[in-house]
Amino acid sequence: MVAKRKNRISMLLLILCSIGLVFTYLTINVDPRFYDFAMMLRRPKMIGMILAAFCIGTASIAFQSVINNYIVTPCLLGMNSLYILTNTVVAFTLGTYHPMFMNANVSFITNVVIMSVAATIIYGFMFRVTNYNVLYVLLSGTVMATLFGSISSSLMRMIDPNEYLTLQANLIAGFNNVNSDIIVMAVAMIVATIVLFYRDIKLLDVITLGKNQAINLGVDYDKTISRILLAVAIFISIATALVGPISFLGLILANVARQMFLTFKHSYLMMGSFLVGVVILLFGQTLIEHVFNFSTVISVFINLFGGGYFLYLIVKNKGA
Amino acid sequence: MVIRNLTKAYGDKVVVNNVSFEIPQGKVISLIGPNGAGKSTVLNMVTRLTPRDSGEIEFFGKDIKDWKSKELSKKLAILTQINHIQMKLTVKELVGFGRFPYSGSRLTEHDHKKVAEAIKYMELDEFEDRFIDQLSGGQRQRAYIAMVIAQDTDYVFLDEPTNNLDIYHASNMMQIARRLCDELGKTVVLVLHEINFASTYSDYIGAFKDGYLRIFGTVEEVMTQEVLKDLYNVDFEIMEINGKPISIHY
Repeated sequence: MVAKRKNRISMLLLILCSIGLVFTYLTINVDPRFYDFAMMLRRPKMIGMILAAFCIGTASIAFQSVINNYIVTPCLLGMNSLYILTNTVVAFTLGTYHPMFMNANVSFITNVVIMSVAATIIYGFMFRVTNYNVLYVLLSGTVMATLFGSISSSLMRMIDPNEYLTLQANLIAGFNNVNSDIIVMAVAMIVATIVLFYRDIKLLDVITLGKNQAINLGVDYDKTISRILLAVAIFISIATALVGPISFLGLILANVARQMFLTFKHSYLMMGSFLVGVVILLFGQTLIEHVFNFSTVISVFINLFGGGYFLYLIVKNKGA
Repeated sequence: MVIRNLTKAYGDKVVVNNVSFEIPQGKVISLIGPNGAGKSTVLNMVTRLTPRDSGEIEFFGKDIKDWKSKELSKKLAILTQINHIQMKLTVKELVGFGRFPYSGSRLTEHDHKKVAEAIKYMELDEFEDRFIDQLSGGQRQRAYIAMVIAQDTDYVFLDEPTNNLDIYHASNMMQIARRLCDELGKTVVLVLHEINFASTYSDYIGAFKDGYLRIFGTVEEVMTQEVLKDLYNVDFEIMEINGKPISIHY
């Protein structure tokens, strides 16, 4: 029962931290005369970060539980490479004056639709062909990520240098493109995904007992995990289209949450992972805006610390 | 439960060949045979963990595949060799999963009672708040059995329950299997490697070799020199100790 109380306290602390950071991010260094203007700039960015944290945090926990491995991230599904490929192909064929680059809304919708449709088709197909073998599906995901990456870098080599710069700016994660239209669309899609996959997500607790036990308890295991992976792919698509390729963040969020909350309950783990995401992103972005004066972007931070944390996890788990 | 002409092949290799037998209710039944004889595959097909190629498995008047998985999990429980769980899961929570077919993740008063009973029955009271990964192999096995008890099914299938356990815990495990049958009235089906555990603790034995069911019968019918020699290609001596046939091989 000690663990239960500790979990409650951790959750409370996380919620307080998140609220505090939301408040700090919105009000730090604000000249009261330009309050409305500052809010107009900051509010969408803040909501964008919260949405990204929600998608990446929950998706990573679900992904790790389905695969029963805590040092994987949904990066393995190849959504990042697919995002880079879509953008590169558009820049290469239609040019960077295309609405895909000039208009944030068009860009968002196109990216989400392409990625989630591609994910549904590719992974739906892979599951059927491999007879629901998750490891094969992931392996093919990794191979596809490499394939997409190679195509993108070949195209980038041939592209006009000016266009390449514009493209490059789009491929680095950041929260500057987020506006209120995008937020509405993203929220609608997140809610739709949750409603559609709610029953499968609720089965995550049982799924982590392993295939045989899940079937013993009456769960249609193969169908459920393929549906959960689809939901994960859609969530990652939304997050990537929203802020660019930062799903590496998921590794940090999921593992910090698992360290903080000693429980198998996914309601706790997912909520925790989401809040850890809010804290990390808001804290990082506040630092970048007010300490580094925008001289760097958050994905640089995430990859730097994420890489270090990843090494730590591997070394720590070596003995176990 | 009646099994008719059950067959399963992986590629060209037929691992279970036209197996038919009936599982008598309220008894302990052991399935024995050398490695690769198909006994575990039969167990997995009977409990819907592995799809079959052909044949029928009739259970309470209906084929297993026509049952709703959730309804079936109120009638039949299967415990395979335990896989490592990384999750932070306490004994009580694990046993609580046994009630999943009835109430999902939200346990009712009745469920909590059942869970407490199962924990008490397996004498796990002092461990109930421990995490599974802090238990010894024998305790973990008992925790899983408690979950199966909480699942409250008429049939219990155990795949090599004595594997990886020392002599004390293994014989303890067999006594538990016997008690599940005698005290709780369950039908218990085990896959075993230890012939003498099978002969001492079960009522019926099914002997497999090369995918065929060679013989299914009472302990006395199966525990003969000829049958065992045919199964394992080893000479056996059968002695009677305390009224139970015990095989000696060396």
